Amino acid sequence: MAVPRRYSGSRFTLAILVLTSVTLISLDARGYAPVDNLKKAGIIIVQPFRSLTRIVFDPVGDAWESLTNGDELERENALLRTQLDELLDYRIANEGAVNDLAALRTQLDLQGLGGHDTVVAEVTAGSVSNFDPYVLEINKGTQSGIREGMPVISTGGLIGRIENPGLRDSRVRLVTDPTVNIGVLAIGTKEIGILTGNGVDQPMRVVDGIPISAAVEVGSILVTSGLDRSPYPEGFAVGSVVEVIPDEVNLEKELLVEPTGEMNNLDFVTVILYQPPGMD
Amino acid sequence: MVVAAIKNGIAILVLLVLQLELFSSLRFFGVMPELLLAAAIAAGWYGGPIGGAVVGFSSGLFYDLYLATPLGLNALTYAIVGYLLGQIATFLSDEAEWIIRITISVVAVTIGLLLFVTFGELIAEPNLYNRSFGKILVVASLYTGLLMVPIHYMMAWAFDATRLFSSGFDRRLR
Repeated sequence: MAVPRRYSGSRFTLAILVLTSVTLISLDARGYAPVDNLKKAGIIIVQPFRSLTRIVFDPVGDAWESLTNGDELERENALLRTQLDELLDYRIANEGAVNDLAALRTQLDLQGLGGHDTVVAEVTAGSVSNFDPYVLEINKGTQSGIREGMPVISTGGLIGRIENPGLRDSRVRLVTDPTVNIGVLAIGTKEIGILTGNGVDQPMRVVDGIPISAAVEVGSILVTSGLDRSPYPEGFAVGSVVEVIPDEVNLEKELLVEPTGEMNNLDFVTVILYQPPGMD
Repeated sequence: MVVAAIKNGIAILVLLVLQLELFSSLRFFGVMPELLLAAAIAAGWYGGPIGGAVVGFSSGLFYDLYLATPLGLNALTYAIVGYLLGQIATFLSDEAEWIIRITISVVAVTIGLLLFVTFGELIAEPNLYNRSFGKILVVASLYTGLLMVPIHYMMAWAFDATRLFSSGFDRRLR
């Protein structure tokens, strides 16, 4: 028969810890600077241990990924082969599109990365939480000129913005996060809407702003609008429309949009050292 | 006391680094185990309500450093779970079979995740309750359960509990 042990003062200890936690939550939610500094100091202390173990565990993670995603890679390979065949068939028909794209770039005054300075950063980790899969960690921070809110791009376009930059590392909040909203412009039109993330492996959505008569169709490319108070510079590709759902009641189109920027298996990303006017 | 604190610190650091660097990649169905929550649970088992609460608070606080949620949210959750496990463990025999410990631990992980999301929702944190919530709850609990045995051993070492039986430990604190 087990005899219950008594732990005197355990409720008092718990009460103190709960109070401390609630105080920290409250202070952090208000953006109290010392708490932020405490977080950064904690990260710096643990960083050497992480760097050491990364050398050992990175190959393990890569091996696991290739093991678990083997079927997916085969499917993707087959899909890509089919798409390549189709593209070869239609290449001649679409040659004119190259000229159109050049014209559109001129129209939108897109040149390279818009003339902004950039920093290339290595992706050091993906999400480390089950509940927030919309983040990446990179190995550059304020020491490299990175600031809160700066846009981050990868091959294909915008993938997110900087969040909570440290001295030598930063977090990237991905555009697929349902809390992220981006003002977008459909290329070739003057239609502007708000693009919202919709979760991992789900197409993003533009719910409002596109009239039903607008010439936005499947395949249309959406770029950042760069309008007043937008945290993003104009003209960066964000996604391509994969489905158009007409809303006959509100006379608008809902757009389902696949991100154009590569977000999986990233090794490097580029941070655009851009801050909207008034935030310098 | 000091030795136990150092040992617990080492255990938390090891589990934190494993969580961040290894298990964030080793996911089943996109879900990873909750090693630091498991540490709080095992600490409750071997350290009683106070040990569970303190280790839970510390491990949660370290984990909070790396998350976008407010600092203290995991600390609050893990402290409560560690405390509850400590209270429950006082009524269980030292000879409790592993299957009982693992089952209780898995249930505690589920409760911990539920508490975390509930607290998060109360302070209007986005993304916590999402369409994958059910999957996360089930897979994370079972996945963590698979890893509970080594974590139990680790926390038994941290609290200086000695093995008396093939199935259990003497949990008297020295």
